Amino acid sequence: MHQLSYGFLLLRLAVVLTLAFLYLPLFVLIVFSFNSNPFTQEWGYFTTEWYSVLWDSREIWDSFYNSCKIALQATILSVLLSTLFVSFANQYYKKHLQFLFYASLAVPEILVAVSLLGFFSLCFIPLGPMTILVGHTLLGLGYAVPIIYTRYQEIDQQLILAAYDLGASQFQIFRTIIIPLLFPSIIAASLLVFVLSLDDFFISFFCCDATTQTLPLYIFSIIRSGSTPVINALSAVLLCITSLAIFCFSLLQMKDREKR
Amino acid sequence: MIERLKSCFLKEMPFFLAAPAVLWAIILFLFPLLCLIFTSFIDQDTGLFSWYNYHHIANITIAIIIIRSLFYALLTTFFTLIIGYPIAYYVAFYARAKEYMLFFLTLPFWTNLIVLVYAWFFLLEREGLINFLLTKLGLITEPLQLAYTTGSVILVMTYCYIPFMIMPLYSVLNKFNMRLLEASCDLGATYFQTLRHVIIPVSLPGIRTGIILVFVPSFGEFIVPALMGGAKQLTVGSLISYYFVVSKNYAIGSAFTILSGLILLLTAILIYFLITLIKK
Repeated sequence: MHQLSYGFLLLRLAVVLTLAFLYLPLFVLIVFSFNSNPFTQEWGYFTTEWYSVLWDSREIWDSFYNSCKIALQATILSVLLSTLFVSFANQYYKKHLQFLFYASLAVPEILVAVSLLGFFSLCFIPLGPMTILVGHTLLGLGYAVPIIYTRYQEIDQQLILAAYDLGASQFQIFRTIIIPLLFPSIIAASLLVFVLSLDDFFISFFCCDATTQTLPLYIFSIIRSGSTPVINALSAVLLCITSLAIFCFSLLQMKDREKR
Repeated sequence: MIERLKSCFLKEMPFFLAAPAVLWAIILFLFPLLCLIFTSFIDQDTGLFSWYNYHHIANITIAIIIIRSLFYALLTTFFTLIIGYPIAYYVAFYARAKEYMLFFLTLPFWTNLIVLVYAWFFLLEREGLINFLLTKLGLITEPLQLAYTTGSVILVMTYCYIPFMIMPLYSVLNKFNMRLLEASCDLGATYFQTLRHVIIPVSLPGIRTGIILVFVPSFGEFIVPALMGGAKQLTVGSLISYYFVVSKNYAIGSAFTILSGLILLLTAILIYFLITLIKK
């Protein structure tokens, strides 16, 4: 209808400007991670020395290892718990307890983090990687349950009824029918929760002790105390990792939708 | 006897398998929230029920902090709406590879919040890129104070929350019935009249969801104001983190958290109902 009007051109311009606005900081960050000058923005020469500093840095690898460990455990726990919940809970409970998992997302994350902190100190649980893991799993449940439940609702009930008729027990049905059908959404949920846990700041900030460092916390402390392009290099690497994970996630979701 | 117990247990196995997830959420989310409410009513010294904590925080400084956070959150919501609506409109109505566009639009959201803030920091600080370029080009002699201002806080917060606004708007506009547009054209409306009377009212539920999705988290945001606003601009989030991490004053901290939480809830409900009223 309005393909060639000025309004349409203006709209296209707005979209282009917004995309530029969205990607400019990230682009600049990556470009300047190759700058040789550490303290000014003057372009010295193209170098990958910051990446080798990054590779050699003990601190960064430690906190990265910590983050990955916690993220992996949180992913496994939350996806496991949500799959079990979605497959085995009573229909009534599933419908009405959904809000419980959404609520942990609807509330500002700082509220969740702070109440967890209060809870841990009340029960005299020492803070550390365990408490961070627990918090991340809580968040992960909030994301995993909707994803897996949506997919579960699309399963053809006839298959399950047929399996019962043929004499399968509930666990056989779970193992041979439900899990294979839920598999794409399980993978998708795992990717999502992994990325979220890796990037999470609030819960890690409030529920950690002095010795645990996760990657976001490390970057936060470095920003406060002065930075070098090593942070640019680290950010570029993180960007690539999360983009890849989210790309796979979107691909999985799209393929899943096309199949149905 | 043992056999009966075993068979009962196996029969109820589904419940035991499904329960952990629910228990997790209840024990680690609902119960701590209740603990928080409970702690806010306890006096630090005597350990008895008292309104002391609330009395202690009922002063003008706290009120200013809460109002400032509300102000930031409202401004952020406003800007994300202005920027996000045209984007969602374009992607829903005109774009061809919609899902790829959407993926690219929400990609910055998936990167670490800290990385995003650092990127803007890199651009905006006194020795940052923007100041550097402007000085190089000879347009200014002294570096501009771009970071550590209210403007920079709002800018970075808008940047972080745009995807939250775009997604609900897109999902509503995607389901838009094109025949409504054709009908309004047939009835002789200009483009702007159509926009005002047809498109915006139909997308109002999406606008409402987007506003709530941006307003609620940005109220409790503390990384962006802490890093970009400097220490002078305290917000609700920074004060909460101060109470709980630095001064470890859990009683007053929880009182403040509950109070700000209530104010947030009231404001969110108010906005929700305002928009629902506009719909009618």
